[in-house]
Amino acid sequence: PGSATAAGLSAPPVMAAPLEHENQVFLDLFHQDGLVICARGLGIDRILLRFLRLYCEPASLVLVLNTSPAEEEYFIDQLRSDGVVHLPRRVTNEITSNCRYEVYTQGGVLFATSRILVVDFLTDRIPSNLITGILVYKAHRIIESCQEAFILRLFRQKNKNGFIKAFTDNAIAFHTGFCHVERVMRNLFVRKLYLWPRFHIAVNSFLEKHKPEVVEIHVSMTPAMLTIQTSILDILNVCLRELKRYNPALEVEDLSLENAIGKPFDKTIRHYLDPLWHQLGAKTKSLVQDLKILRTLLQYLTQYDCVTFLNLVESLKATEKAFGQNSGWLFLDSSTSMFVNARARVYRISDDKISKKSKVSEKMDIKERKELKRELVLESNPKWEALREVLKEIESENKNSEDLGGPGQVLICASDDRTCAQLREYIIAGAEALLMRLYNKTFGKDERAGEEWIKDRKAVKSKGNARSDKGPQAKKAKVEASSKQNKIMKKQDLTLTQMMGKTEEENIEEEMEGYKELSSSEEISIEETKPEDFHLNLASDAYYGIFKTPLTIIHPLQGCSDPYALTRVLHEVEPRYVVLYDAELTFVRQLEIYKASKPGKPLRVYFLIYGGSTEEQRYLTVLRKEKEAFEKLIREKASMVIPEEREGRDETNLDLVRDSTSATVSTDTRKAGGQEQKSVQQTIIVDMREFRSELPSLIHRRGIDIEPVTLEVGDYILTPDICIERKSISDLIGSLNNGRLYSQCISMSRYYKRPILLIEFDPSKSFSLTSRGSLHQEISSNDITSKLTLLTLHFPRLRILWCPSPHATAELFEELKQNRSQPDAAIAMAITADSEIVPESDKYNPGSKDFLLKIPGVNAKNCHVLMNHVKSISELVTLSQDKLSEILGNAVNAKQLYDFIHKSYAEAISQGKTKR
Amino acid sequence: MPVSWPARVTAASSGSREGAVLGELPPGSEASTVPPAASGDSDPCPTLKPGAKSNCIIVSARQRGNPILKFVRNIPWEFGEIVPDYVLGQSTCALFLSLRYHNLNPNYIHERLQLLGKTYAVQVLLVQVDVKDPHQALKELAKMCILADCTLILAWSPEEAGRYLETYKAYEQKPADLLKEKVDQDFLSIVTDCLTSVKSVNKTDALSLLSTFGVSHLLPIRVQTGPCHC
Repeated sequence: PGSATAAGLSAPPVMAAPLEHENQVFLDLFHQDGLVICARGLGIDRILLRFLRLYCEPASLVLVLNTSPAEEEYFIDQLRSDGVVHLPRRVTNEITSNCRYEVYTQGGVLFATSRILVVDFLTDRIPSNLITGILVYKAHRIIESCQEAFILRLFRQKNKNGFIKAFTDNAIAFHTGFCHVERVMRNLFVRKLYLWPRFHIAVNSFLEKHKPEVVEIHVSMTPAMLTIQTSILDILNVCLRELKRYNPALEVEDLSLENAIGKPFDKTIRHYLDPLWHQLGAKTKSLVQDLKILRTLLQYLTQYDCVTFLNLVESLKATEKAFGQNSGWLFLDSSTSMFVNARARVYRISDDKISKKSKVSEKMDIKERKELKRELVLESNPKWEALREVLKEIESENKNSEDLGGPGQVLICASDDRTCAQLREYIIAGAEALLMRLYNKTFGKDERAGEEWIKDRKAVKSKGNARSDKGPQAKKAKVEASSKQNKIMKKQDLTLTQMMGKTEEENIEEEMEGYKELSSSEEISIEETKPEDFHLNLASDAYYGIFKTPLTIIHPLQGCSDPYALTRVLHEVEPRYVVLYDAELTFVRQLEIYKASKPGKPLRVYFLIYGGSTEEQRYLTVLRKEKEAFEKLIREKASMVIPEEREGRDETNLDLVRDSTSATVSTDTRKAGGQEQKSVQQTIIVDMREFRSELPSLIHRRGIDIEPVTLEVGDYILTPDICIERKSISDLIGSLNNGRLYSQCISMSRYYKRPILLIEFDPSKSFSLTSRGSLHQEISSNDITSKLTLLTLHFPRLRILWCPSPHATAELFEELKQNRSQPDAAIAMAITADSEIVPESDKYNPGSKDFLLKIPGVNAKNCHVLMNHVKSISELVTLSQDKLSEILGNAVNAKQLYDFIHKSYAEAISQGKTKR
Repeated sequence: MPVSWPARVTAASSGSREGAVLGELPPGSEASTVPPAASGDSDPCPTLKPGAKSNCIIVSARQRGNPILKFVRNIPWEFGEIVPDYVLGQSTCALFLSLRYHNLNPNYIHERLQLLGKTYAVQVLLVQVDVKDPHQALKELAKMCILADCTLILAWSPEEAGRYLETYKAYEQKPADLLKEKVDQDFLSIVTDCLTSVKSVNKTDALSLLSTFGVSHLLPIRVQTGPCHC
C-alpha cells in the first residue's frame, strides 16, 4: 500500500514498502520545514531514514544533530543494506580540524558532534553557505541542550536558504511547562508543527487494516501477592499524604497515587523539590526516598519471583535497623502484613516438625536439613504458568502448520535482562529448580563467598569452552539436543551467578552493566559468522535463544546498549508469535508497524498482564499520558500565533539579532556631549572544552564575539587581565577534592592579574552551597565551605563570582568587560608554564618552587627560607645534612630532604619491592 | 652556570597596587588609580594594631547583636576597636552584609569598603543571602568586590555565615595540603611527581631518568640543561 513514487522519489526495492501515513508525514515535511511530533514507536526513525536516503549524495550537505553513536550506526547500516552508495559520515574529534573543511565540502549526510559544529561555525571552518539543511533528531531536547540551539542560530545567521527539519517522538516532554512547544519551535526556527498521534485518523485507519491478532491474557495474582500489593499501595498513600502535609505548596494533581506508581514520578517530584531542596526538612527528604523504595517494591512484586522479592524486603529491614533511619512506614500495620505475606510466599514455619521432617529432607539438600523450622513454599509466579501455557499452545499449533510454511518463530519480550534470564531458566529447568537455586543462593548461609567464587571460576571456564566450541558447532548443521541444552545451562550459570553475586539491588544493577560489557565483545565475534548460521548468533548477550526449532528467543525490552537491538531482532527473526511478558508501549506500536509493513504475514501477539495490578495501571497511565499530551499539543497548535519571520530567512527575526548595540558602542552618557568613541567589537576567548556548557552561546547572543581556542590556563579570558575558571557545583566539589582547582588557581594567579573563580549554580537546583541542617557542629575539613575558605586564604588575589545561572553569568561578563581592553587569543593560547609571570604573584621562580615543594621535608613554610639560603638545586645536593638542618631549623625535615636526594635508584627499587 | 633562583628580585612587594574606586562603580578604566583611602600602606601583610595577634576573632562593636555571633561557637571571640567588622587573623578581615539591609541602604557597603581601604591581604565580604530575589544585588556586589579587591563569600543562613568566620580564623595558619593532589608516599611516586613538575618531563621520562641517574646526580643535570633555568 502507499504510493511509493510520490514526489519523484522512488523507494528502492529492498526497503520495506513505506506506509500510507509515513508517506504523508514525509511529503508534508519535505515541502515545508517544521517539527514533527509523532506517537512513540510509530517509526520516527523510519521517517528520518527516508530523509537521510534522500540527501545521501555529494551534491547536498546535510547535518544531522542529536543522534547517539548507536543510532548513527543503525541508520548507516540500514542505508548500506538499501544499497546507498554515498553513505553518511561522522564528524567526531577523530577528524582533525584541518581535515574537516574537506569533509564538509565532500557533501552528503554528516552526523556531527555538536561541540565540534559550534566551533566550526564560529571559526567559519564549515562553509555555511553550502549547507543544504539541518535535520534535528530528538528535537524535544533542544531547550535543555543548548549546543544544538546555538548551532541552529549560527546556521540561520549565516545561511538564509537552508532547511531545518526536526523530529521527535516524545510528546510527553511537551506536556510540562508553559508554552513548551512554542519555545521549542522558536529555538528550531520552524513555523510548522506536524502532529501524528496514534489516534490520528490516517494512522488509525491504516493500522486498523493490518491489525495483528492479539490475545490478551489477564493473569490473576495469588492472594498473597494481592495482599502485598494492597499493603504497599496503602503505605504509598500514607507517604504521599505526609509529603503533602509537610509541603502544602506542592501541586496536588501530580501527587496522585496513580502517578506515584509510574516511572517518571521520581523526575516529577525532583522537578518540584529541587529548587527548594536546601530548605526541605529531613522528613521530606526521607519521604521522597521512601516513595522511591516503595515503587521499587511494587515493581519487584510483579516482575520477579518470590525469593527475590523477599530478599529485597528483608534487606530493607536490615538497612533500617543498621542505620537507624526510619520515616515510620515500617511500623505501619500494612507493612507488617507485607512482611508476613512476603515470607509466606517463600516458606512457612511448620507447626509439626517431625511429620514434615522426612518430606522436607527429601526436598532439600544437606545444608537445608539443619534448618528444620522452615518449610519451603516457594510460590511460583502466575505469569510463568501462563507463559508455559502460551508456549504449549504455540507448540501445538506449530505441529500442524504446514499450510503456513512450517513452524513459526517465537519472540518472548520481557522488560529487563534479569527477567529474561529468569524466564529462560524457568522454561528450561522449571519453576521449582529456579526458585530452589535462588533460595539457596540468597538465604543459604554457609561459606557463600567461597562457593560463589568457585562457581564463578567454573562459569568463566565453561564460557571459554562454549566459545571455542562454537566454530565447529556452527559448521555442523545438526546439533545434538543434549549438548545444546548443556551449553545453555553453562551459559546461564554464568549469567545468574553474576547476577546474584551480591544481594543488594544497586550492586546487581552494576553487575548487569559489567555483564553486558563483558558479553558485548562476544556478540561482535559472533556477528562475523552471521551468514553461515544465524540461529546460533542469536544466543548472544541481549537475546537468549532457547529452542532451535522453532526458534524461540527471549529479548529484554530495555537496558540494551544498542537501542535498536530489539528492532534488529524483530526484523531478523520475523517471528509469527510474539509473547509480551511485560507490556511496553513503544514496542507494541512497533509491532503494529512491523505487521503493517509486512502485509500477509501472520502475526499473533500474546499480552501477559496481571489483571487489576499496578503493572496494568502503569501501562494504562503511560497510554493516557501520551494521549493527553497530544490533545494539549493539538489545542496549542490551534491557538498558536507564529510570526511570519520565525524561520529567520530574512533580517527581521529578533532572535537572530545579536544584542550588539550595547556591546560595541560604548554609550557612555557621562562622557560630556557624547564624545565620539571608537567602537570596538567585544571579544571573549573561550576554551574549547567549554563548549559543552550553555555559556558560550549566551555570550555570543549578547553580541560579544567568541574565539574558541585551547587554553592551558583558565576557561574564559575577558580582558588581558581577567582570567576566569568556571566551575559548576559538582565540578567545584570534585576539583577541590582532587587538587585540580588548587593547581588551576596557582597557574591563574601566576599569569593573570585578576584570577577569578566562577561558581555557577544550576538554575533548576537550589541556589545554595550547603543544604539546611547539613552543617556539622564542628568545623570539618571535608566540608566544601571549609575548603573554599582555605583556598581563598591561600590565594588572596583570587576573586569569587557566584552566579545563579548561565544567563546571569553572561550578563556579568558583559559588564565586567565594559571599558576594558580586549584579550588577545594568541597571547592567551601561548600561556604555559614557561611564560612570564605576573609580578605580584611570586618573587621566586615558580618552576623551582613547585619542584622543591614536592620534595619530602620541604613545606610551604621552610621553602622560602631554603630558597633564600641556597642558590640553586645543584648547590642543594652538595650540602651536608647538618647544614640542611641549620637552614631548615628542623632536623627531621633536613633528614628527609637529605635522604631523598641521596637515595640511589637501586635502593629505591629494592625498597619498593620489599614493600610490595 | 646555574642561575640563582630568586629569578626576579622583584619590585612587587613595593608595587603600587590599584586603589579602590568605589564611589562611582562602572566607569574608570583599569588604570585609574586612587591611592588607598586610609592607611596608604600597601604591604599585603600588614602588622596590625596590638590585639590583632590574638587567638580570638575580634568583633567590631557595630556587630553587637548580629545573630551570626550566636553561631560562632568553636572559636572564641571578643569585641575590639577595629575598622572592619571582624578581624580573623593577622592578615584577614571580613565585612558582613545582609542583603536585606543592603537593599534598604545600598550606600552603606560602599562607605565601609572605602573606609577599610586595602589594609589586609584577604578581605572577605561575607554576604548573607536573605532576600527572595538576590540576583541583581549580587551582581553589583560581585563587580564591587573585583574593583575593591575583596573576596566575596555567600552564606545562606546565619549558621553558615558564622561557620565561615570560624573557619577563616581556624585555618589562618593551615597549609594548603588539603587542597593539593594526594601523592602516594613511597619514594618512586614522590620522585616521579617531583620530576614531572618540570614542564617537559612526563612520567615515563621521569622513570627512565631515575633509572639512569640517582636523584643526587639527576638534580644538577636538570639544572644545567634545565628547561626552566633555575
